[in-house]
Parts: sequence; structure tokens; C-alpha cells
Amino acid sequence: MKRATILLLILLAEISFFTALSGKQFSSAADLLPYLQSYFADLFIQSAPILILAFGMTIVLMTAGIDLSVASIVALVACVMSSFPAGPNFYWTALPAGLAVGISAGLLNGILISRLDVPPIIATLGTMIFFRGLCFVIMGDLEKSPFLDVPGYHVFGEPQGSLAIVIALFVAGGLYFANSLWRRELLMIGGNRIAARYAGLRVERRLLQIYALVGCLAFLAAVCFTGRNGSVSASALTGLELHVIVAVVLGGTRVQGGNGTIIGTIFGVLFIAIMDEGLRGAAIWGARNLPFKISHLEYVMLGLLLVFGVWLNNLLQQRTVHKAAQHG
Amino acid sequence: MGRPVRRRLAFLFAGNLILLFTIFALLKEGSSFTEILGRIGPDIAPAALAAFALTGIIFTGAIDLSIASMIALAGTIFGCFATRGYSPVLSFAICAASAWSLMSFNGLLVTRLNMPAIIVTLAGLPLYRGIALIIADSFIPNFSGNISVHSDAYHSPGKLYGGWILLVGASVAIMWESFGKHPRLWLALGNSPEACHLMGLQPRRILSSSFVLGGLFFAAAAVLYATRVQAVEPARMALGFELQVIAAVILGGTNIFGGEGSYLGTFLGVLFLYLISQLLIYAGASAYLQDALTGAIILIIIAVDCALHRPLKRMEELS
Repeated sequence: MKRATILLLILLAEISFFTALSGKQFSSAADLLPYLQSYFADLFIQSAPILILAFGMTIVLMTAGIDLSVASIVALVACVMSSFPAGPNFYWTALPAGLAVGISAGLLNGILISRLDVPPIIATLGTMIFFRGLCFVIMGDLEKSPFLDVPGYHVFGEPQGSLAIVIALFVAGGLYFANSLWRRELLMIGGNRIAARYAGLRVERRLLQIYALVGCLAFLAAVCFTGRNGSVSASALTGLELHVIVAVVLGGTRVQGGNGTIIGTIFGVLFIAIMDEGLRGAAIWGARNLPFKISHLEYVMLGLLLVFGVWLNNLLQQRTVHKAAQHG
Repeated sequence: MGRPVRRRLAFLFAGNLILLFTIFALLKEGSSFTEILGRIGPDIAPAALAAFALTGIIFTGAIDLSIASMIALAGTIFGCFATRGYSPVLSFAICAASAWSLMSFNGLLVTRLNMPAIIVTLAGLPLYRGIALIIADSFIPNFSGNISVHSDAYHSPGKLYGGWILLVGASVAIMWESFGKHPRLWLALGNSPEACHLMGLQPRRILSSSFVLGGLFFAAAAVLYATRVQAVEPARMALGFELQVIAAVILGGTNIFGGEGSYLGTFLGVLFLYLISQLLIYAGASAYLQDALTGAIILIIIAVDCALHRPLKRMEELS
């Protein structure tokens, strides 16, 4: 409870800081309410794909893996779906095709990592570039927007549609995951893979499953993204993978594996989303007071937050181990 | 040099000869094969020198994923000096010094923070590119995404002397590997940090030296890369370069988990990947297809290499 309160206070302080920076002024509490409503609606729509991907990334990091190709998979799924003609049949043609592409891409990562023993970061760095190359093969320099003409598709990009997907994923998936044997097996694989293998766990199969799951989640993220944007190009969502990884690391998941929580990940995603939204809102302040575009700070912040998050998680882990040694 | 590395060298020698022969066979009328051969040196120089830098680091079992962003940052600093009218020599020196400092700084972070090199340098990816954009935006009037350097004097290292610089770099690397102390220490660290510690060596210092000394090759790579292009584009410069370089190092027989490899193999690996890209061009593949195919080839190479090392890894787990 104490930790949750601290995390909420950090988020409130972050919102207050960026609201002050954006130059917004409120004469009464009545002004504040509609502002907060639209602020949180925007925040949620923007962060829905990151939330979905972060769910999968948390699981991957728990096993001491990483997936740098998530953004490219989302882009590839969206590019494949955009190649289908708009119309009512879109739901029966493009969506299954997109899901198949997402799962296949995830399986390719899984095979490289689990069956061929390629280090996850190298395997997914390679597939990140390969999938992005496929996006360019499919799209060229074009930007396609069939999603606007698909009846009812825009719902996925509205707060209600995105909210439904995210809540269903986090409540159903999170509840199942929290109490499942599967989670414990993944934690064991992340904590000590050799011990997990000696204990009789099917390490390769579990790794294959989680990377395929990430591919599946990339499909859901692509649906939310295309529902919101209405169009897609081959270079869409470049750099999103770092947002996802930083969010998960800030949420307390160790990159060395062995621990991680979905609740922490939600906090991490909100922290990153508020920062992104805040930097966008502070553009006018930045233009007046800074010699460079304030949006460039986003890259710097992501790098620094990643190092800080990993360092902090290591420190907390060392303290936990130290305490356990003292008591034990 | 172990037997697997020697086998890899023989494979790469034969592979490169076959690729050259195929390119020769695909040449159309009017194209000169001698001209193609002459272009190889300057074309592969930045990748080869960066790969030499990374070879030493991978010998130790570490890695640097941020080389593309560091080149973008060093290139941006070079562009700022060039557009402000500083002398070419000073601009090259500043570019080289920035690249060396950044790689050394990565080494410092890896050893001091006690964090995996892969994570520290992953963080460097957005960090250095962000700093490059901030510098470009702050120091270039009306910055519109790229920094154009018009005078030919600023392009001489990349366009005129690339091949010669590579020749010197490759000779130094191969001689150093044969007679120098550091590459052996790096290989020892990659094989067993614990054994190094028990032998009275200092693993942290050895790891740090791989970044600092590798930074010298990297400095030359950054100068060649920045001076080859007509305009420095901080947001996009050298995107994907890190994978190209890592793939060349692994293809050259260096074990990605450390402890095994050679500089000569790295050189042949860079040449192999370059000839494949040229082959795709002469075979008439579209630019987009070339990227996807090159990515696929690199992935296959890395996957096969890791699969070959799999039984050894399993044996180590059992022992």
C-alpha cells in the first residue's frame, strides 16, 4: 500500500510539473475537470498500444529475454492489414491475416532464441530490421488508409474501444497470469535457466510460447494503433520498442529476469505516457526558452531512464538479497 | 587461433572469391571490374574499422549496441565545426575525439555501474541520438534535419583516403592480434572472468581497456563515415549500422559470447557482407528488397553461428 501511494504521488507530481510547463491556467476547479477528462482520454488513447505491448514485454523480461522487434511487428501487421480492401469483409480477411503475421513473427523470434540459442537482444535486433524491411517491401513509400472506410473500425481507436481491449487483457490476462503455474515457471527460467532445465521445465517450449504471445499482442496493438490513426506507413512506430522497454523497467521488472509485476508495468507505462504528452504540451514553452526542440529531450530521457531504472532495480534486488541473508 | 576460427577463415576466403566471381559474371557491358575492386576499400572502410573496435569488445563477452548513435553524435559535432568554418583538420580531430570519448565512456559505465554492457549501450542508442539532435538544433541556424557540408576539403578522409586508412587500420589490427598483449587478455576474459580473477588479472580493467583501445579504431570509423556523406542527418545517420557490424564480426568467427575470434576473420566478414549487398544490386533487386534480404541473410548467419555453438554451451551447462 505504501509503495502504491508513493507511485501515485510520483505520477501526480509529474502531471503537475508538465501542466505547469505547458502554461495552462485554471481559474476554478470547474475549469480543471474538463481539462483532466480530455487529458486522460488523450493519454489513454496514445498509450493503449504501449500498455498492450508492455504486458508482453514484462513477461519476456521476466525470463531474462528482451524483444526489440515489437514495434516492427506492429508496423508489419498494420502494413499487411492495410493491403486488404476496406469493407465489411475486412474483419474476416485482414484481421485473421494480421493475427497470423503477428504470431508468425513472434514464433520466428521464439525459434531463434529458444531453438538456436541466439541471444534475445541480437535475435530481435535482427528481426526488428528484417520486419521493417518487409514493411518497406509491402508499402514502398506509400501511406495507406483503408481503416477509415471499414465500418465500425474507428471504435478500436476511441477511448472506449481501446479501454475495453486493455481492461480485458490486463484483468483477464493479469488475473490468470498472477495465479498460474506458468508465471512461476517463467520466473524460474528468468532466475536460473540451467536450474529450470534441471528441474524438468520445458524451457524451450515456454520461451517459444511467450514470444508468440508477444506477436499476438502486437496484433492487438496494431488494431488499436490503426483504429486511432486510420492510416499506416512503413516507418510507423519507429522507436516505440524503447518506450515499451523503459516503461517495463521503470515498473520494477529486472532485465536480468526473475521478477516483475504487471501492476508495476502499468505505472511505468503511465510515467512514460505522461512524459511524452507533457513534452508535447510544453512545446510552446520550449520554443520560447530553449535553443532546441523540446521533443528531442524525449530520446535523452528514455536513455537516462533506462539506465536509472536498471540501476535502481539492481539496487533493490541487492537489498532484498542482503535482508534475506540477514534474516535467514 | 583455434580450429573453428581457422575453418571460418577458409570458408570466408572461398566465399568472397565465389562472390567476386559471380559479380564479375553478372557485370553488364560498359562496367569495369577493376573499378568495382577499387571501390571496395573506401566503401567498407567505416564498417571494417567499427567492426575492429567491436571485435575486441566482443572478445571479452561484452558488446556495444550504440555505435550507430555514437557515429551520429560524432558526425553532428563534425558537421557543426565544419559549417562554422573551423579548419578541416580540427573538425576531423574533434569528430575522432568525440567518438573515442563516447566509446570510452560506455566502457566506464559498464565497469562502474556493474550493469550488463548490452543494457548500458541499449540506453546509449536513444541517448546519443537525442544529444546529437539537441546539438544540431542548438548550433546550426535554421536546422532542418540535416547538416550539409559543401567544401570538398571536409570530405577528403572518407572519399579520397578511405582505402589507405583501412589498410593501415587492418594491418595494425592483425599485427596487434599476433603480437599484442591486450587481444589475448580480452579473449581470456571472454573465456572465463573467474579464471582471470584467480590469475591475478583485473577483469574490470581488462573490460574497460577493450572499450578504450577499441575506441581508437572507432574514432577512425566515425571520421570516415561522417566525411563520406554529403550531409549529416542526426536523426537517421547510420541507422542499422550496428547490426551490420555485429553480423560481420560474428560471421568472421568471433563467438558472440566471447573468448574466441580474430581480426582477420572480422575483415573477411565485412567484405563478405559488402559483396553480398553488391551482388543483390547487380542481380537487379529493388532497394527495399535489398534491405529485407540483407537483414534476412544477417539473421541466418547469426542463427547458424549460435546453433553451431549450442552443443558447447550445453556441455558447459552440464559441467
